[in-house]
Amino acid sequence: MEQVFILALVGSTSVGAYLVGAKGLGLSGTGIRRAVSKMLECLGTTLVFLAINITVAVVAILAARVLTRGFVSLYSAADETLLVLSLIQGLAFQWWRDLSAPWPPNFSRR
Amino acid sequence: MNQPTIGALQTRRRMGWAHICRLLGFVGVALFFISAFTPLPNMLSRWFDTPSQLEPAKAIVVLGGGVSPDGVLSNISMRRALHGILLHRKGLASLLVFSGPARDGGPAEAEVRAQLARDLGISPGVILTEADARTTREEALHMRALLQARGVRKILLVTHGDHLARARAVFERAGFEILAAPAQKLSSRVSKPAGRLRLMRRIVTELLARLYYRIAGYL
Repeated sequence: MEQVFILALVGSTSVGAYLVGAKGLGLSGTGIRRAVSKMLECLGTTLVFLAINITVAVVAILAARVLTRGFVSLYSAADETLLVLSLIQGLAFQWWRDLSAPWPPNFSRR
Repeated sequence: MNQPTIGALQTRRRMGWAHICRLLGFVGVALFFISAFTPLPNMLSRWFDTPSQLEPAKAIVVLGGGVSPDGVLSNISMRRALHGILLHRKGLASLLVFSGPARDGGPAEAEVRAQLARDLGISPGVILTEADARTTREEALHMRALLQARGVRKILLVTHGDHLARARAVFERAGFEILAAPAQKLSSRVSKPAGRLRLMRRIVTELLARLYYRIAGYL
Protein backbone atom coordinates (compact mmCIF):
# COMPACT_ATOMS: atom_id res chain seq x y z
CA MET A 1 0.00 0.00 0.00
CA GLU A 2 2.78 2.38 1.03
CA GLN A 3 4.70 1.79 -2.19
CA VAL A 4 1.61 2.57 -4.27
CA PHE A 5 1.12 5.77 -2.27
CA ILE A 6 4.73 6.86 -2.84
CA LEU A 7 4.63 6.06 -6.55
CA ALA A 8 1.28 7.85 -6.94
CA LEU A 9 2.60 10.86 -5.01
CA VAL A 10 5.75 11.21 -7.10
CA GLY A 11 3.82 10.46 -10.30
CA SER A 12 1.28 13.21 -9.61
CA THR A 13 3.90 15.84 -8.66
CA SER A 14 5.86 14.90 -11.80
CA VAL A 15 2.76 15.42 -13.97
CA GLY A 16 2.17 18.73 -12.13
CA ALA A 17 5.76 19.82 -12.78
CA TYR A 18 5.39 18.89 -16.46
CA LEU A 19 2.21 20.96 -16.76
CA VAL A 20 3.79 23.96 -15.00
CA GLY A 21 6.86 23.65 -17.24
CA ALA A 22 5.00 23.16 -20.50
CA LYS A 23 2.04 25.55 -19.99
CA GLY A 24 3.26 28.03 -17.36
CA LEU A 25 6.91 28.43 -18.29
CA GLY A 26 6.57 27.60 -21.98
CA LEU A 27 9.29 24.92 -21.90
CA SER A 28 9.67 22.76 -24.99
CA GLY A 29 7.98 19.36 -24.76
CA THR A 30 10.79 17.64 -26.65
CA GLY A 31 13.36 19.11 -24.23
CA ILE A 32 12.17 16.76 -21.51
CA ARG A 33 13.69 13.79 -23.33
CA ARG A 34 17.06 15.52 -23.37
CA ALA A 35 16.58 16.43 -19.70
CA VAL A 36 15.91 12.78 -18.74
CA SER A 37 18.94 11.75 -20.77
CA LYS A 38 21.08 14.33 -18.91
CA MET A 39 19.67 13.16 -15.55
CA LEU A 40 20.66 9.56 -16.38
CA GLU A 41 24.11 10.77 -17.36
CA CYS A 42 24.52 12.54 -14.00
CA LEU A 43 23.35 9.42 -12.13
CA GLY A 44 25.74 7.26 -14.12
CA THR A 45 28.62 9.60 -13.26
CA THR A 46 27.55 9.36 -9.61
CA LEU A 47 27.70 5.55 -9.78
CA VAL A 48 31.17 5.73 -11.33
CA PHE A 49 32.33 7.94 -8.43
CA LEU A 50 30.64 5.61 -5.93
CA ALA A 51 32.44 2.58 -7.36
CA ILE A 52 35.77 4.44 -7.33
CA ASN A 53 35.21 5.67 -3.75
CA ILE A 54 34.35 2.20 -2.45
CA THR A 55 37.27 0.57 -4.27
CA VAL A 56 39.75 3.18 -2.99
CA ALA A 57 38.28 2.87 0.54
CA VAL A 58 38.70 -0.93 0.55
CA VAL A 59 42.27 -0.71 -0.76
CA ALA A 60 43.16 2.03 1.77
CA ILE A 61 41.66 0.08 4.68
CA LEU A 62 43.46 -3.12 3.71
CA ALA A 63 46.73 -1.20 3.23
CA ALA A 64 46.30 0.49 6.62
CA ARG A 65 45.78 -2.91 8.25
CA VAL A 66 48.99 -4.23 6.72
CA LEU A 67 51.14 -1.13 7.22
CA THR A 68 49.98 0.01 10.66
CA ARG A 69 48.77 -1.66 13.83
CA GLY A 70 45.52 0.26 13.64
CA PHE A 71 42.29 -1.43 12.64
CA VAL A 72 39.54 0.04 10.49
CA SER A 73 36.52 -2.10 9.70
CA LEU A 74 35.77 -2.81 6.04
CA TYR A 75 32.17 -1.93 6.86
CA SER A 76 33.37 1.71 6.90
CA ALA A 77 33.47 1.48 3.10
CA ALA A 78 29.71 0.85 3.13
CA ASP A 79 28.82 4.12 4.87
CA GLU A 80 25.67 5.75 3.45
CA THR A 81 27.32 9.18 3.31
CA LEU A 82 29.51 7.87 0.47
CA LEU A 83 26.43 7.79 -1.77
CA VAL A 84 25.57 11.45 -1.10
CA LEU A 85 29.19 12.55 -1.45
CA SER A 86 29.46 10.60 -4.72
CA LEU A 87 26.32 12.37 -5.94
CA ILE A 88 27.95 15.74 -5.19
CA GLN A 89 31.11 14.63 -7.00
CA GLY A 90 29.13 13.28 -9.94
CA LEU A 91 27.02 16.42 -10.39
CA ALA A 92 30.03 18.73 -10.09
CA PHE A 93 32.07 16.65 -12.56
CA GLN A 94 29.19 16.43 -15.02
CA TRP A 95 28.58 20.17 -14.93
CA TRP A 96 32.30 20.83 -15.30
CA ARG A 97 32.34 18.65 -18.43
CA ASP A 98 29.26 20.32 -19.86
CA LEU A 99 30.42 23.87 -19.19
CA SER A 100 33.86 23.12 -20.63
CA ALA A 101 32.48 21.65 -23.85
CA PRO A 102 33.03 23.69 -27.01
CA TRP A 103 29.76 25.28 -28.07
CA PRO A 104 28.51 24.88 -31.66
CA PRO A 105 29.15 28.07 -33.68
CA ASN A 106 25.44 28.82 -34.15
CA PHE A 107 24.53 28.10 -30.50
CA SER A 108 23.52 30.96 -28.24
CA ARG A 109 24.55 30.57 -24.57
CA ARG A 110 21.81 32.96 -23.52
CA MET B 1 41.36 10.75 -46.58
CA ASN B 2 40.53 13.33 -43.97
CA GLN B 3 42.13 12.80 -40.55
CA PRO B 4 39.80 13.55 -37.64
CA THR B 5 40.83 16.75 -35.83
CA ILE B 6 41.73 16.76 -32.12
CA GLY B 7 38.44 18.53 -31.44
CA ALA B 8 36.48 15.82 -33.26
CA LEU B 9 38.30 13.10 -31.31
CA GLN B 10 37.55 14.87 -28.02
CA THR B 11 33.89 15.20 -28.98
CA ARG B 12 33.74 11.50 -29.88
CA ARG B 13 35.35 10.54 -26.57
CA ARG B 14 32.96 12.87 -24.74
CA MET B 15 29.97 11.26 -26.46
CA GLY B 16 31.26 7.77 -25.62
CA TRP B 17 31.60 8.71 -21.95
CA ALA B 18 28.12 10.30 -21.97
CA HIS B 19 26.64 7.17 -23.53
CA ILE B 20 28.25 4.88 -20.92
CA CYS B 21 27.11 7.16 -18.09
CA ARG B 22 23.55 7.25 -19.43
CA LEU B 23 23.51 3.47 -19.61
CA LEU B 24 24.89 3.20 -16.05
CA GLY B 25 22.35 5.75 -14.87
CA PHE B 26 19.54 3.76 -16.44
CA VAL B 27 20.78 0.56 -14.79
CA GLY B 28 21.02 2.40 -11.45
CA VAL B 29 17.45 3.74 -11.70
CA ALA B 30 16.16 0.31 -12.75
CA LEU B 31 17.93 -1.39 -9.81
CA PHE B 32 16.57 1.24 -7.44
CA PHE B 33 12.98 0.64 -8.59
CA ILE B 34 13.39 -3.14 -8.53
CA SER B 35 14.86 -3.01 -5.01
CA ALA B 36 12.36 -0.55 -3.53
CA PHE B 37 9.13 -1.47 -5.31
CA THR B 38 9.28 -5.20 -6.06
CA PRO B 39 9.56 -8.23 -3.71
CA LEU B 40 13.03 -9.11 -5.05
CA PRO B 41 14.85 -8.20 -1.76
CA ASN B 42 12.29 -10.29 0.16
CA MET B 43 12.92 -13.31 -2.07
CA LEU B 44 16.70 -12.87 -1.80
CA SER B 45 16.48 -12.60 2.00
CA ARG B 46 14.69 -15.97 2.22
CA TRP B 47 17.48 -17.53 0.20
CA PHE B 48 20.10 -15.78 2.35
CA ASP B 49 18.98 -16.79 5.83
CA THR B 50 20.25 -19.83 7.72
CA PRO B 51 17.64 -21.90 9.61
CA SER B 52 18.00 -22.53 13.35
CA GLN B 53 19.43 -25.82 14.65
CA LEU B 54 18.74 -25.51 18.36
CA GLU B 55 20.24 -28.61 19.96
CA PRO B 56 22.40 -29.11 23.04
CA ALA B 57 26.04 -28.12 22.56
CA LYS B 58 29.12 -27.55 24.71
CA ALA B 59 29.07 -23.75 24.42
CA ILE B 60 27.03 -20.85 23.10
CA VAL B 61 29.26 -18.43 21.19
CA VAL B 62 27.83 -14.95 20.64
CA LEU B 63 29.63 -13.01 17.92
CA GLY B 64 30.34 -9.28 18.17
CA GLY B 65 28.01 -6.64 16.77
CA GLY B 66 29.42 -3.31 17.91
CA VAL B 67 29.59 -1.10 20.99
CA SER B 68 29.88 2.68 21.25
CA PRO B 69 32.89 4.23 23.04
CA ASP B 70 30.61 5.03 25.99
CA GLY B 71 29.73 1.37 26.40
CA VAL B 72 26.28 1.24 24.78
CA LEU B 73 25.70 -1.96 22.80
CA SER B 74 24.45 -1.57 19.23
CA ASN B 75 21.00 -3.00 18.46
CA ILE B 76 22.64 -5.90 16.64
CA SER B 77 24.97 -6.62 19.57
CA MET B 78 22.13 -6.42 22.10
CA ARG B 79 19.88 -8.79 20.11
CA ARG B 80 22.69 -11.33 19.77
CA ALA B 81 23.59 -11.09 23.47
CA LEU B 82 19.97 -11.52 24.60
CA HIS B 83 19.51 -14.47 22.24
CA GLY B 84 22.63 -16.12 23.68
CA ILE B 85 21.41 -15.52 27.24
CA LEU B 86 17.98 -17.02 26.41
CA LEU B 87 19.58 -20.09 24.83
CA HIS B 88 21.70 -20.52 27.95
CA ARG B 89 18.62 -20.19 30.17
CA LYS B 90 17.01 -22.97 28.11
CA GLY B 91 19.91 -25.16 29.13
CA LEU B 92 21.28 -25.73 25.63
CA ALA B 93 24.91 -25.37 26.74
CA SER B 94 26.84 -24.93 29.95
CA LEU B 95 29.24 -22.22 28.71
CA LEU B 96 28.25 -18.78 27.41
CA VAL B 97 30.96 -17.01 25.43
CA PHE B 98 30.77 -13.36 24.39
CA SER B 99 32.98 -11.84 21.73
CA GLY B 100 33.57 -8.18 20.88
CA PRO B 101 36.44 -5.72 21.19
CA ALA B 102 36.54 -2.21 22.66
CA ARG B 103 36.20 0.83 20.43
CA ASP B 104 38.01 4.14 20.74
CA GLY B 105 39.10 3.60 24.32
CA GLY B 106 35.70 2.52 25.63
CA PRO B 107 34.85 -0.74 27.39
CA ALA B 108 35.08 -4.01 25.46
CA GLU B 109 31.81 -5.16 23.91
CA ALA B 110 32.37 -8.66 25.32
CA GLU B 111 32.69 -7.28 28.86
CA VAL B 112 29.57 -5.11 28.53
CA ARG B 113 27.61 -8.18 27.38
CA ALA B 114 29.06 -10.34 30.14
CA GLN B 115 27.92 -7.75 32.69
CA LEU B 116 24.45 -7.76 31.08
CA ALA B 117 24.34 -11.56 31.39
CA ARG B 118 25.40 -11.40 35.05
CA ASP B 119 22.76 -8.74 35.72
CA LEU B 120 20.18 -11.05 34.16
CA GLY B 121 21.11 -13.82 36.53
CA ILE B 122 23.67 -15.91 34.62
CA SER B 123 26.31 -17.31 36.94
CA PRO B 124 29.69 -15.53 36.41
CA GLY B 125 31.43 -18.91 36.43
CA VAL B 126 29.92 -20.00 33.11
CA ILE B 127 30.66 -16.78 31.19
CA LEU B 128 33.76 -16.41 29.04
CA THR B 129 34.81 -13.33 27.06
CA GLU B 130 37.04 -12.76 24.04
CA ALA B 131 37.74 -9.06 23.48
CA ASP B 132 40.60 -9.03 20.96
CA ALA B 133 39.06 -10.36 17.73
CA ARG B 134 37.90 -7.64 15.34
CA THR B 135 36.63 -9.62 12.36
CA THR B 136 34.59 -12.80 11.93
CA ARG B 137 37.70 -14.71 10.93
CA GLU B 138 39.65 -13.45 13.94
CA GLU B 139 36.72 -14.45 16.15
CA ALA B 140 36.93 -18.00 14.79
CA LEU B 141 40.69 -18.20 15.38
CA HIS B 142 40.57 -16.69 18.88
CA MET B 143 37.63 -18.93 19.86
CA ARG B 144 39.67 -21.94 18.77
CA ALA B 145 42.43 -20.91 21.16
CA LEU B 146 39.94 -20.20 23.96
CA LEU B 147 37.56 -23.15 23.61
CA GLN B 148 39.36 -26.07 22.06
CA ALA B 149 41.81 -26.05 24.96
CA ARG B 150 38.73 -26.75 27.12
CA GLY B 151 37.66 -29.61 24.88
CA VAL B 152 34.80 -27.65 23.30
CA ARG B 153 34.08 -28.52 19.67
CA LYS B 154 30.33 -28.43 19.26
CA ILE B 155 28.96 -24.89 19.63
CA LEU B 156 25.77 -22.98 19.11
CA LEU B 157 26.82 -20.00 17.00
CA VAL B 158 24.78 -16.86 17.62
CA THR B 159 24.83 -14.10 15.03
CA HIS B 160 22.37 -12.59 12.56
CA GLY B 161 20.83 -14.81 9.89
CA ASP B 162 22.53 -13.12 6.94
CA HIS B 163 25.95 -13.36 8.62
CA LEU B 164 25.63 -16.98 9.70
CA ALA B 165 26.68 -18.73 6.49
CA ARG B 166 30.02 -16.90 6.37
CA ALA B 167 30.57 -17.20 10.12
CA ARG B 168 29.75 -20.91 10.04
CA ALA B 169 32.25 -21.52 7.22
CA VAL B 170 35.17 -19.85 9.03
CA PHE B 171 34.31 -21.50 12.37
CA GLU B 172 34.11 -24.92 10.70
CA ARG B 173 37.51 -24.24 9.14
CA ALA B 174 38.75 -23.48 12.66
CA GLY B 175 37.67 -26.97 13.69
CA PHE B 176 34.29 -26.38 15.31
CA GLU B 177 31.07 -28.31 14.78
CA ILE B 178 28.42 -25.64 14.30
CA LEU B 179 24.77 -25.47 15.26
CA ALA B 180 23.22 -22.35 13.78
CA ALA B 181 21.38 -20.07 16.21
CA PRO B 182 20.38 -16.94 14.31
CA ALA B 183 19.55 -14.08 16.68
CA GLN B 184 17.37 -12.49 14.05
CA LYS B 185 16.49 -13.47 10.52
CA LEU B 186 16.39 -10.95 7.73
CA SER B 187 12.73 -10.03 7.64
CA SER B 188 11.23 -11.32 4.42
CA ARG B 189 7.94 -9.55 5.12
CA VAL B 190 9.20 -5.97 4.75
CA SER B 191 6.94 -4.11 2.34
CA LYS B 192 7.88 -0.46 2.79
CA PRO B 193 10.23 0.82 0.05
CA ALA B 194 12.77 2.18 2.56
CA GLY B 195 12.76 -1.16 4.43
CA ARG B 196 13.32 -3.06 1.18
CA LEU B 197 16.23 -0.78 0.30
CA ARG B 198 17.80 -1.44 3.73
CA LEU B 199 17.26 -5.17 3.21
CA MET B 200 18.92 -5.00 -0.22
CA ARG B 201 21.84 -3.05 1.25
CA ARG B 202 22.43 -5.73 3.89
CA ILE B 203 22.26 -8.48 1.28
CA VAL B 204 24.71 -6.70 -1.04
CA THR B 205 27.08 -5.88 1.85
CA GLU B 206 27.10 -9.52 3.00
CA LEU B 207 27.58 -10.74 -0.58
CA LEU B 208 30.62 -8.46 -0.94
CA ALA B 209 31.93 -9.68 2.42
CA ARG B 210 31.61 -13.30 1.25
CA LEU B 211 33.40 -12.38 -1.99
CA TYR B 212 36.22 -10.78 0.01
CA TYR B 213 36.51 -13.82 2.30
CA ARG B 214 36.62 -16.09 -0.74
CA ILE B 215 39.30 -14.00 -2.48
CA ALA B 216 41.34 -13.82 0.74
CA GLY B 217 41.12 -17.62 1.05
CA TYR B 218 39.21 -17.58 4.36
CA LEU B 219 36.30 -19.65 3.02
